[in-house]
Order: sequence, then structure tokens, then C-alpha cells
Amino acid sequence: MKDVDTLIAALAREARPVRQAPHPFVLFAQWMGGAVVYIALTLLYSGLRPDLLARLHSPLYLLELVLLLGIIATAALSAALLVFPDMHQKRRMVFSPVLMFALLAVLIVISWQADSPPSPPPVHSVECLLYIAFLALLPAAWMFYSMRKFASTHHYLAGSIALLAAFSIGALSLRLSEQTDSILHVMQWHYLPMIGVSLIGLWLGKTLLKW
Amino acid sequence: MTGAPSKLESLMRKALAGDQQAYSALLLETARFLRPFLSRRLNGASEVEDLLQEILLSIHKARHTYDGQRPYKPWAFAIAQFRLLDYLRSHYADHLRHAVEISEVENILPENVTESSFTYESISAEIKQLPEKQATILQMMHQEGYTAKEVAEKIGMKESAVKVAAHRAYKILKEKLVR
Repeated sequence: MKDVDTLIAALAREARPVRQAPHPFVLFAQWMGGAVVYIALTLLYSGLRPDLLARLHSPLYLLELVLLLGIIATAALSAALLVFPDMHQKRRMVFSPVLMFALLAVLIVISWQADSPPSPPPVHSVECLLYIAFLALLPAAWMFYSMRKFASTHHYLAGSIALLAAFSIGALSLRLSEQTDSILHVMQWHYLPMIGVSLIGLWLGKTLLKW
Repeated sequence: MTGAPSKLESLMRKALAGDQQAYSALLLETARFLRPFLSRRLNGASEVEDLLQEILLSIHKARHTYDGQRPYKPWAFAIAQFRLLDYLRSHYADHLRHAVEISEVENILPENVTESSFTYESISAEIKQLPEKQATILQMMHQEGYTAKEVAEKIGMKESAVKVAAHRAYKILKEKLVR
């Protein structure tokens, strides 16, 4: 009891004007702005797929891009909330990426059924996963760097969601530049690894977001 | 100090602006409402005080994540819960590493309390001086004949926690009886 009182007195003596952390929506906007610029830069480097305009007339492809963007946005928003001890008291928004994921899963099933006769798979395979992971490195580093300035009480989940957002940025960039219509390839090498990446994110969150 | 929510938020807003008195009042009030929360979840008063200090330090460290606009208590409780879980995780992990099966504990004691020289009845006075939970566990296991698993089910604890509590009780008894 006496120790607690002594501690409180010591902490109170340290009271100075505190620079407040940005609102989660501001953090979200910063990350989304960064993501858009980063995707544009990577596309400048790798180039858009030559048949992009034609492919944009396909509702399934267009919806896939929209959902990928949705995953990036909801994951970034979720991560921005998760860095606050109380999730900024917006718990429901934290789980919004789940909905986007479910919609993407449904879309992939529909696209798979619509892919008849199946489009030929590209000659490469794991290279896509590696390229996406490479593209995700910078956004992930930036997000984790920003998140370390806060105080997450859900650091496992925060790490997982942040890495998912970063990986989705890479996936969207590649989907706009790689000329392939094989949904099996896309599912296997672009989207399924997201699950593994989220698991790695749990560990990263535990390691990097401790405070 | 009423502890009304608006009062706490107002104190925190002042504290964030550098008001030392408001900050001190806020932390005192926070300690006041967190102490019962921790007491219900931990065994000893010293554990409660130790963890309370850790939580207050965490609140101090994370105060930049509070804007003074949303309710203060959920924010403070989120930090308290986080530190409590952290503490329990490391505490039980540590104790389980050193935990000894009940059957082995009897061998550790200089004399076997369950056999000739000591019976539950012969040392019941010492047992009664133990913390309530530990005394109950020993009574159930050695007087009423329940296993650790059955005790755990009856008093709503984990079996491992019952074993740890019993182990602690044996250690205390050992020290008392050897003296």
C-alpha cells in the first residue's frame, strides 16, 4: 500500500504535457495513403498487365480487386484500432477483415466454377508468393514501426492483422501486373499463403509489439 | 473523490496537460478501483500490490494512447487485464515448471505427514492458519479424501492450480513443523 502511494507520488512528479497518439482513423488514413502510393510505385516498376482494361470488364476480376482493396482497408483499420489498449472502444470494427475474407472466399469459389474450361496456369508458381512477400516487406516494416509507438494489449492479433494488410498490398499489386487468369494458381500462390502469413504475424506481434 | 466516470476523464485530461495534482488523484483513484479487481483474482495481498504497481506503471507508459474523450475505466481495465493475464501466464508457467506431483511431495517432507507421525487431525491447528484456499484444498484432499482433480472441479479451479496451492501449503507446513 505504502509502495503504491510512493510510486504514485513518483509518477505524478513526472507528469508533463503529453503529446497524444494520433486518432486511429488518422493512422488508418496515413497507412492507406502510403499503400496507394506504394502500389503505384511498384506498378511503375513492374508495369500493368497488358490486358488490364479488357480484364476490368470482367465483373469477377473487378470484384476481386475491390475485395483485395477491402481487405487492405479493413486490416489497416483493424490494426490501427488494435494498437490502442482498449481498441479505442470500437471492438466491432476490429473484426471487419473477417467479413472481407469471407466475401473473397466466396468470390474465389464462384470464379473457380466460372473458370471453364480452366485457364492454363502460368509457368511459374512459388515465384508469385515470393514476389508478394518481397513487396510486403516495406509496408510491414512501416506498419510495425508505427505500431510500436502505441500500447497494444492484443499484440498477437495486431501483428497478425498488420502483416495481413502488408501482404494484401503485395497481392493487389501483383494482381494488377501479372497476366494470369488461372484461378487455381491465384488461389494457391496468392491467397492461401495469407493464412500462413497471418500466423507468422502472430509471432511477430508477440515479439515486436511487446511493451 | 467520487470516482464518477466524468471525474476520471476530467482528471486524465488535466494530467495529460501536465497537471501533477490531477495525475496523482487519478492514479490514486485508479488504484482504488483496481485493487478489488485484482484481489478477486489473486491469492495474496503482496501479489495484488506488486501487480497493481506494474499496472500503474503501464498506465503511465501508455497514457499517450488515451485522448480524454472516451470513458477512462475501460481503457484502464484493458491495461489491467492485459498485465494480469501476463502475470498469471508467467506465474503459473514458472510454478508448473517447479511443481511436484502430490505423491512425490510426501517424499520431499522430512516426515510423512500422511502416515504415522502426522495426520490431518494432528496438524489441523497449523492447517487452519494457512490461507483459506490452501486450507480448504488440504482439508478436501486429506480429510475428505478427494483427488486433486476432484477438488479442482468442486472449487472451480484448474487441477494444476490446485496442485500448486497444495504444494505451497506443504512447504509452509514443512517450515512450521520442522521448526
